[in-house]
Amino acid sequence: MAVEFDESEIEYVSYGGEHHLPLIMNLVDQELSEPYSIFTYRYFVYLWPNLSFLAFHKGKCVGTVVCKMGDHRHTFRGYIAMLVVLNSYRGRGIATELVSRSIKVMMRSGCEEVTLEAEVTNKGALALYGRLGFIRAKRLFRYYLNGVDAFRLKLLFPRPEPNYSDSVRSTLDEGVEHGDELNTP
Amino acid sequence: MAEAEGEGDVQVPISSSIPSGNDTVWFDVSSLLHRACHDLRTDELISGENFNLFAAMSALEIMDPKMDSGIVSTYYSVDEAIENGAAPIPLSFDRTSDIQHIIDIMDHFLACEATWHKGGSLAQTMFSCIYLLRPERTSSHALLHSFCIVIRATCNALVSAVSVSRTNEEEDLFTMAYGLPLKANGDEKCLSLLHAVEETLCRQLKACKAPLSKRTALEDIEPLQTNLDLEEGFCKAVLCRLRFRKHFYHVLTSLRKPQGKGLELAKKHIISCLSELDSMLKSEDFLRNNSVCGTSENEEEKTTASGCQPVGFDSTLNSRSAAPTPPRAIKLLSWNKAVNYFQKLLHDLDVISSYSLDPVFEGALRFVVDVQKIQPDLVARAHIQLLLVQDGKLYGREPLFAVICKASLLPEGAKNHDIQKNESVQQLGQLLITLFRVLCANTAWQRRKLGKILQDWRIIYVQLELAFRKEFGDAASTSVEQNSLLKICKHILIWVEEQTYWIALRFLTLGFELELYSTSEYCMVYWYIYVVLIKLAEKTHLKMMLSNDSSRRKSKKKKDFVKDIGKDYQVPPAVQLLQCYIYVAQGLMMMLASLRNENKIFLCMGPFNSEQERFVQHFELLQKACLPDHASYFSFSETVSNTRLSTLSMHNCFKDAQRIAKELRGSFANDPDRLAELRQIEQVAEHNYVALNLLCRMGNLEPSLKISFEFIHHPHFATAAVKRS
Repeated sequence: MAVEFDESEIEYVSYGGEHHLPLIMNLVDQELSEPYSIFTYRYFVYLWPNLSFLAFHKGKCVGTVVCKMGDHRHTFRGYIAMLVVLNSYRGRGIATELVSRSIKVMMRSGCEEVTLEAEVTNKGALALYGRLGFIRAKRLFRYYLNGVDAFRLKLLFPRPEPNYSDSVRSTLDEGVEHGDELNTP
Repeated sequence: MAEAEGEGDVQVPISSSIPSGNDTVWFDVSSLLHRACHDLRTDELISGENFNLFAAMSALEIMDPKMDSGIVSTYYSVDEAIENGAAPIPLSFDRTSDIQHIIDIMDHFLACEATWHKGGSLAQTMFSCIYLLRPERTSSHALLHSFCIVIRATCNALVSAVSVSRTNEEEDLFTMAYGLPLKANGDEKCLSLLHAVEETLCRQLKACKAPLSKRTALEDIEPLQTNLDLEEGFCKAVLCRLRFRKHFYHVLTSLRKPQGKGLELAKKHIISCLSELDSMLKSEDFLRNNSVCGTSENEEEKTTASGCQPVGFDSTLNSRSAAPTPPRAIKLLSWNKAVNYFQKLLHDLDVISSYSLDPVFEGALRFVVDVQKIQPDLVARAHIQLLLVQDGKLYGREPLFAVICKASLLPEGAKNHDIQKNESVQQLGQLLITLFRVLCANTAWQRRKLGKILQDWRIIYVQLELAFRKEFGDAASTSVEQNSLLKICKHILIWVEEQTYWIALRFLTLGFELELYSTSEYCMVYWYIYVVLIKLAEKTHLKMMLSNDSSRRKSKKKKDFVKDIGKDYQVPPAVQLLQCYIYVAQGLMMMLASLRNENKIFLCMGPFNSEQERFVQHFELLQKACLPDHASYFSFSETVSNTRLSTLSMHNCFKDAQRIAKELRGSFANDPDRLAELRQIEQVAEHNYVALNLLCRMGNLEPSLKISFEFIHHPHFATAAVKRS
């Protein structure tokens, strides 16, 4: 059931410390299929607190995004690990706003591209990322524990300098599928 | 660092297995660790430089039901389970209930096996059976023993088939059998044991069906169980399960016979398997109605026909011993789904067994591509590959160089030429094997790999060119030798190019099957398909002309030269078919471009990047391999920027495609698959032609018109659907 609210009532905040962690964990546990241990959450929010955002409605945490960035085979790339909005708050642009905030930080920090995985059945997420300019670069066979395939989505930022061939080369060097990505052991 | 001294230190003897060296000294750090632990609260994490995402993800939270499949098992060991009566032999001293339990075991095995094939681990599926884990225990129970042996032999055969056909990461879990008793003494006798048990069962069935008067003669036969009213039902239920195992094992061994020599036999056993599966389904009502467990499980969940839980299975038993990391909990397929899985598997194997082992390379390629359309699972795909590539030869009999010569349309004698010893030519053979392997993999992995091997095919072209040039200078002394070498070089080089474009095309079209493209990207995808198809048609045509050329030259000497020249040249059907695709791709590309230009729909727009970035990402592997040369985002945008719905050539595209598809029917009269393909293409062209006309008449005027592109007639070529919203 959708909640009645005005978009202006949603407050977006960057990850602010330990008190935000249980809020993020609860949301993800509630809405995503993959189980994550506390270490996974800590790994992200401690190393890249500036890439994680939370959305609040009247004091209640209704959405969150958790990301990282780093070198991946000669490319500096951002990675969106988790994006969750409470079911009753969906369809109002909260997820788009959350993920856009992270992407902007990544872009400013010099990322060349952003990647993530999404279940092939998750039409909502695929449409959202499609609107933001992500392409479905690969399909990953039975990627999730539940046996569902995933899409690897990618967003390439425009290159400011004309030396285009270099950027092409760097994105091509990726070889290992599951190198340092969110992959289940 | 000095050795830490603390209270309550536990003195651990320092291991002497790795001695201290010049730069290393051993210290006992247990107490330091101990103190450090006191500083850490629950959930806190010390993140070292090497603590990466994989390490974080590898951590399991014990007792979290989503992560922990249960290290604390019911039993600590198989022996303990056995001591506690988890797998009794016999299963019951009441012989009727003994048989019922055995049938449940047989059914549960089927559910386990299907789950294993679908991605479960061997340890958590088949080898969750205690009887299977202790092969020697069952020997006193002929029926159970023979069944367990054939199960083990089947697992072993499949593990071997999938390991030999190694294609990708998919089989890692399938073949993982750490310390499991996959082989036991006497397993090779599984069929004779099974045969003996089957004989007895047949006699028991015959005895119970015989009229009372005749029964005296058969009295020495002990019935299967004690309730004579149920004897026939139980005999039949056990028999079909036993026979299924026997035939399935035969299918697997026949498929592994060298050079496809067992295919005919495999087909026979496949038919038998399917019929036994039917009998198993028929026995379901009988088993359910006479089940002892009373409450029958949910139809969607039950792993046995009777609905009872099987005795002797414990999926937690292997959790500590079987894998490097604790396994995640898995859900078994239901018995009914398992039966369906095997029916599908057997149908797929039947398609494979019906293959004619076409000695022509293109035929083999088409075969794999066609089989992939029915979406075979790992086991079937492994067997396609085992059939295609054996001992480094096609079907284990055609040397690769001979295959390449034939595919390049060289005359028969070329296959004996010494050039085959050249290193680059041999590498080309290896590329061919890799290509077959990749084509047998799941389509998701296949596409990624195809994109990567494109580069190899580009490189081998250059290497071959150099190698041929060198051979030409070195060896050929007479003009006859030079001519024959030149011919081989020309043919093979063109064929390599043709093949490279074929791979590029498959890479692009698989994107549709894998749903990698969004509608707004179709325009650029069809543009790329269009330019690749043009090159493919060009190379195919060139290859064919080259071969016609040489055969004509021979005939010229004997026959009248003038007659030949006057004849109208006929474009070969294979090239015409490609031409037909070219028209459809071009039509679709232009149609999508016009809609973008005029109606402003299907545009690639986003806040962070432009269409150019999408183009670069989708086609980076093709661009990197220069396939084709000069294909770039700029050439794409130039081509499509001025297209309008009124552009006449676009209408003609669909008309021409329709015409060619019709004309080609005669050329492919003996090939039902190609005819079906032609029909599909014709439909795509026809519907798009109609849609285009409709759009032309009212497209701009009616904002209520909704246009979508659907794959209702063809998996790669979309059909435009125009609807009023």
